[in-house]
Amino acid sequence: MDLNGDGVKDILSGSYSRMDKSMAGLFQVLWGRPDGTFSKAQTLNGADNEPLVIPTKGEDEVIEAICTRPFAVDWDGDGHLDLIVGNFAGAFYLFRGQGQGKFAPAPQKLMAGEEPLRIDGHHGDPFVVDWDGDGDLDIVSGSSNGGVQWAENLAGRGKPARLAKFKALIPAPDELRSGYRDNEVVAPTGSTRVWVADFNSDGKLDVLVGDSVAIVAPAEGVSEADFAKRRAAWTDTFSALSKEAANEKDEEKQSAIYERMNKLYEERKEFMTEDRTGFVWLYLRK
Amino acid sequence: MKIIAALAALAGGASLAVAADFERPVRLKGGAELVRVESPGYACPCLADIDGDGRADLLVGQFAKGKIRVYKGLGDGKFAAGDWLKAEGAVAEVPGVW
Repeated sequence: MDLNGDGVKDILSGSYSRMDKSMAGLFQVLWGRPDGTFSKAQTLNGADNEPLVIPTKGEDEVIEAICTRPFAVDWDGDGHLDLIVGNFAGAFYLFRGQGQGKFAPAPQKLMAGEEPLRIDGHHGDPFVVDWDGDGDLDIVSGSSNGGVQWAENLAGRGKPARLAKFKALIPAPDELRSGYRDNEVVAPTGSTRVWVADFNSDGKLDVLVGDSVAIVAPAEGVSEADFAKRRAAWTDTFSALSKEAANEKDEEKQSAIYERMNKLYEERKEFMTEDRTGFVWLYLRK
Repeated sequence: MKIIAALAALAGGASLAVAADFERPVRLKGGAELVRVESPGYACPCLADIDGDGRADLLVGQFAKGKIRVYKGLGDGKFAAGDWLKAEGAVAEVPGVW
């Protein structure tokens, strides 16, 4: 999108977190140039000339400020691009645009009725589009859980947004594994990121889904049977430890469990290889 | 530790979902190869005509070094093999992504 209105497309990205100061997923822009090239990534500042961040009150709220995903769109219909931003917590914020790439520094949390708008899972990933064709802007999102969700705007054309809660557009997998065999990768798994477009020009909106998956295979010299046996035993042990860690309230004891999990994770190399990657999937609308 | 904590949430069995309103999902290719990102994954797709030829190109962001791969759109839903997005003559990286 052309973020600063200079007639040239720019590339806007969120980020996990800055390394200095308090944790915050800054917005980064690769500004487009008339010759078709792009600048290096530059932090997007607010109208106060400070980096645009989701404000938080202390460490307990840090997940509100990190792992950001911005989407530029004229949300309020005033002719200026605004930013709808997802975060680690799965919530969404609106930074109102003032034109020419300037945004008000203080965002507004998006609501669904009386409650904050929130996806099922983490990693809010907004794509703003009139999904149901009723003239207003809805929000489609991926999730750490996988699948694709959408929040319908109930307002109607030209009216201030009135969002419903998120519901499944493409269901998330019932469960996610820590690894898949190559032939088991038949649909997106977890950590989905979405893009919506009429991909095949049939007049219906389709969905692109990026994901994250670990593809596993027997290590060199390990038979399929031995691999299956050792992988099953490993998975049982790892699952038990992860449940133990989740239920442990004492931070020191929890840390010790994580250490054991780290060790166990390294031991997997004895019987399996792991290729962590992500694919881009196309869901064509029927 | 962050990775281990994330993996803990992923441990367990699995089933893969297919939505009723959509055709079965297919993986996009760039040239003859599947579009895929470097370890540790986290593919983030975007369609935009960034070379101004009237066809949508596929841009795929990834976690590793915050790099973005561009697959030139060839029309009819096909894309050429990917190349890293460049900025000021070097491979572009978005800071704070890792």
